[in-house]
Amino acid sequence: MSSRLARPGFTLLLAWLVLYPVVIVVVDSVRGDAVATFVSRRGEWGVLWASVWISLASVALAAVIGVPLAFLFEWLEFPGRKTLGSLIALPAVLPPFVGVLAFLFLYGESGFVARAVQAVLRLRGPPWRLQGAGAILLVHAYSMYVYFYLLTRAGLAKLDASMLEAAQALGAGRWQTLRRVTLPLLRPSLAGAALLVFMTALGSFSAPYVFGGGFRVMTTQIVATKLNGELPLAMVETVALALVAAVGLALLRRTEGEEILAALGKGEAPRRRPIRRASVRTLATTAGWLLALLLLLPHLTLALVSLVPYGSWTTETLPPVLSFVNYQRLLGEPERLRPLVNSLWMAAASTLGAIALALAAGALARGRRADRWRGPIESLVALPWALPGTVFAIALTTTFSVRAPLALRWVLVGTVFLLPLAYLVRNLPITGRAVLAGYRQLDAALAEAAASLGAGRWATFRRVTLPLLRPALAAGGSLAFVAALGDFVTSIVLYTYDNRPISIEIMSSLRLNELGVAAGFGVILMVVSALVLGLGVRR
Amino acid sequence: MTPFVLLAGVHKQWSPTVSVGPLSLELQRGEIVALLGPSGSGKTTVLRLLAGFEAPDAGRLVVDGEDVTLLPPARRRCGMVFQHYALFPHLDVGENVAFGLKGSGHEGVVLRKVAEVLALVGLAGFERRKVQELSGGQQQRVALARALAPEPRVLLLDEPLSNLDPTLRERTRRELGTLIKRVGITTLFVTHEQEEAFDLGDRVAVLNEGRLEQLGAADELYERPASLFVATFVGRANVVRGGGSGTARALGARDGEVLVVRPERLRFADAGLPGMVRERRYTGAAAFYQVETEHGERLEVLAGPEAARVGDRVYLEPVRVLTFPEERA
Repeated sequence: MSSRLARPGFTLLLAWLVLYPVVIVVVDSVRGDAVATFVSRRGEWGVLWASVWISLASVALAAVIGVPLAFLFEWLEFPGRKTLGSLIALPAVLPPFVGVLAFLFLYGESGFVARAVQAVLRLRGPPWRLQGAGAILLVHAYSMYVYFYLLTRAGLAKLDASMLEAAQALGAGRWQTLRRVTLPLLRPSLAGAALLVFMTALGSFSAPYVFGGGFRVMTTQIVATKLNGELPLAMVETVALALVAAVGLALLRRTEGEEILAALGKGEAPRRRPIRRASVRTLATTAGWLLALLLLLPHLTLALVSLVPYGSWTTETLPPVLSFVNYQRLLGEPERLRPLVNSLWMAAASTLGAIALALAAGALARGRRADRWRGPIESLVALPWALPGTVFAIALTTTFSVRAPLALRWVLVGTVFLLPLAYLVRNLPITGRAVLAGYRQLDAALAEAAASLGAGRWATFRRVTLPLLRPALAAGGSLAFVAALGDFVTSIVLYTYDNRPISIEIMSSLRLNELGVAAGFGVILMVVSALVLGLGVRR
Repeated sequence: MTPFVLLAGVHKQWSPTVSVGPLSLELQRGEIVALLGPSGSGKTTVLRLLAGFEAPDAGRLVVDGEDVTLLPPARRRCGMVFQHYALFPHLDVGENVAFGLKGSGHEGVVLRKVAEVLALVGLAGFERRKVQELSGGQQQRVALARALAPEPRVLLLDEPLSNLDPTLRERTRRELGTLIKRVGITTLFVTHEQEEAFDLGDRVAVLNEGRLEQLGAADELYERPASLFVATFVGRANVVRGGGSGTARALGARDGEVLVVRPERLRFADAGLPGMVRERRYTGAAAFYQVETEHGERLEVLAGPEAARVGDRVYLEPVRVLTFPEERA
C-alpha cells in the first residue's frame, strides 16, 4: 500500500476496532425505551452515583496512603529503604483479580485473620463479613495506592532542589515550602495519579463483584442486567458509565498542569536526608518491614491456601494438611489445564496483535506527511484506556452479534475469537503508549542516516528502528500480556466454554468451594505475571 | 566543464512566508563547497534536498550526470555526516561503519573495508568499541568513516564541527580538510561559522532567507561582496546609510546609497572625518577603537594597539569604501 493511502487506511482500521463498537452501542441505546427505563428507575441513578463516589473515595484513600509513603522513601534515608521501596510497589504488577482473591482468603469471613480473631475471642461465628462499599474501598486502597506512590516518587525525583532552596532563602519554613512550592510542583504527578486511580476504580469489576454483596456499582450492574436478558438497558448503562468516564477524564486532565511538567527536571533533585536519631531510624525500618509484610500478606496467603487439599480445612485457624495435590490436579487433568492454555494463547495472540498495531501507529504517526493523521491515530490508540472494560465488552458483544458485512459487522459472539479481540482492543493503549513513547525518543536522524547509507524503508525498520524500540516493545508487551492473562472484567461478558480463561475458572472453583484449586490458579497467574514482567523490564 | 553536482532552480516552499530557493548551485568534481548563512537561511534544507530527505517543489538535482530528483535517499549514494552524528546506539563502531556495506560482498571484504576506513580516520582497531564510550571527536570520525565506507559520490556534512568544544574544533577542522582532500570526494557542507567555511571550502555559498546571495572563493566574498548582506555577514563592517547623514556624505555617499567600510580600511590620519575615541578593545596584536563622529554615529576602526587612547580627538580616512544601493539593504 502506498504511503498516501497507508495513513487514512490505518486510521479507519483503528476507528473500526475501537470507536465503531462504542458508536454502535450509543446509537442502539437511544433506540427503544431503554433510556426511559433507565431514567425512571431510581436504582439506576443510585448505582451510577455509587460508581462515582466509590471512585472518588478510592482516589482520596489511595492518596492518603501513597503520597506520604512516597515522601518517606524519596526524601529520607534509612536501612532497607531500597528493598522496601520496591517491595511496596508490588501490588501494581499483579493482576487485580489475584489481589481480590488473596484478600478474600486473608480478610474474608473465613479467611485467616477472621479465623484468628474468632479463635482468640472464642466467637461462635466469624467476627465480620467482608462485604459492601467498605470492603470494596479497602481492596481499592490496597491495590491503587501504588499509583500515587510511584507517580509522586517520580515527581519528587524530578524536583529541582534549587527551587526549594530558593523558597527557604526567601524566608519560607519547611511546612510553607511544602505547601507553597513542593505540592504545587507535584501537581502533574498527583493529578496523573488521581486520574489513574479514578479511571481504574470506575472500571473496577473484580472487587465489587466478589465483595459487593448487595451493593452494586455500574460495572457489576451492567453485567447483571445483561445476564437478566435486558441487553438494551445494559447498553444504556454502558453509555452512562462511559459518559461518567469521559467527564472524569476531561475534568482531571484540566488539572494536570503541563506547564509545570515542562519546568521540572532541569535541576538536581534534593538529596535524601539520613534519619539521625537511632531510635527513629529503627522505627522507620521496622515500620517499613511491617508495612511490606502487610502488603505481601495477601499473596503469601494465596500461596498457602493453594496447598490446602479439598475438604481438609474446616474450622481450624490454620490448615491442618498441606500438599501439592491441587497443582497436580491443575496441571494433570486436561479439563483443568484448559483455562490456563486458553489464557496463555489469548494473551499471547492479543499482545502480538496490539504490538503490531502499535508499531504501525508509531510508524505512521511520524514523518513529514503525518501531521494531519498524528492526532487521530494517537487518540484512537488511547481511547480504550478512557473507557471501562465493561463498556468495551458490551460494545463488542453488540457490534459482533449481527451479520452485516456492508456495515463491517460479522457474528463473532459465541466464537473463541471475540475475547482475544477484546483483549487486543483493551491492550492497545498499553502497547501503544510504550511504542509511541519509544518512537518519540528515536532520533529521526538515525533513520535518515540509514537511508543515506543505502537502506530502504523496510531495511531501516528492521535494522535500526526495531532494535532500538526493543525495550519499549518488551515493556509494553509484557504489561499487555499480564493484563490480558489476568483479565476478568471483559472475560465474564465475552467468554465461551471453549475459551474460558483462568479468571473464569477461578470463579467457578470458588463457587464449588474448591478454594485450593482457585488459589492454585491464582498463584500460577501471579508467578507467570511476575516472570513475564521481570523479563519485560530487564534491559 | 560539466558540473559534477548540479542544483538547478531548486525550490522548496515550507509555508506561505517561508521558502528556500529558487536556487542554483554547481560543484565541480572533487570540490569542497561550504554553505554559509545565519540560522534559518536554508543551508540545511539545501543539504537535505540533495540527500533526498526533502523533496523539492520545483527544480532538478543532478549528480554525476544522473538526475536524482526523484530518487529515494537510499539510492542517491550521498554519504552524510549528521550534526549530532546519528550513530546507531545499538551497534558497535565496526557495525556502524559496516552498515552501508551490507550486500557488498563477503564478510571478509566488508571487514577489510571497515578496517581500512577506520584507519583512514585514525581509529584503527576501534571496531568493537561501543559508540557511547567514544569522545565527541571520535564519534565524529566514526560518523565520517561510516559515511565514506560505501564510497559515496558526494559527501554531505551538516555542521560537522558544531558539537565539538572550541579547542578540539580547530584541530578537527584541519584533519577533516586534509582527509577530504586525500579522499578527493566532492563535498558540500553546512556551517554558520565564517572561519570554518573559509578554511575548509574551496568556494563558499552564502545563503540568506533561502536565497543564494553569492558563490565564490573566500577572498572574493570579502573583497567583492555581491550584496550588502554578504558584506556585513562575511567579516566585520561599518554600515553607514546615506540619505542626509553627515558621516555618509563625508565618506562620499550619495542619496540612496549605503556605505560599507571594514574596520581595517579606516585609518587614523591628520585630516578627514573628525571624531572622538569612545572605547578601545585590546586584542593583542591590534585594537578595535569605537570612534564617535560629530554626527553622532559610531565607527569601528582596527589599528595598532597604541594608535589612540579613549578620549582622543581623531580624524578618520577611509581607504576603501564599498557602495550598495539603498533598496537592496
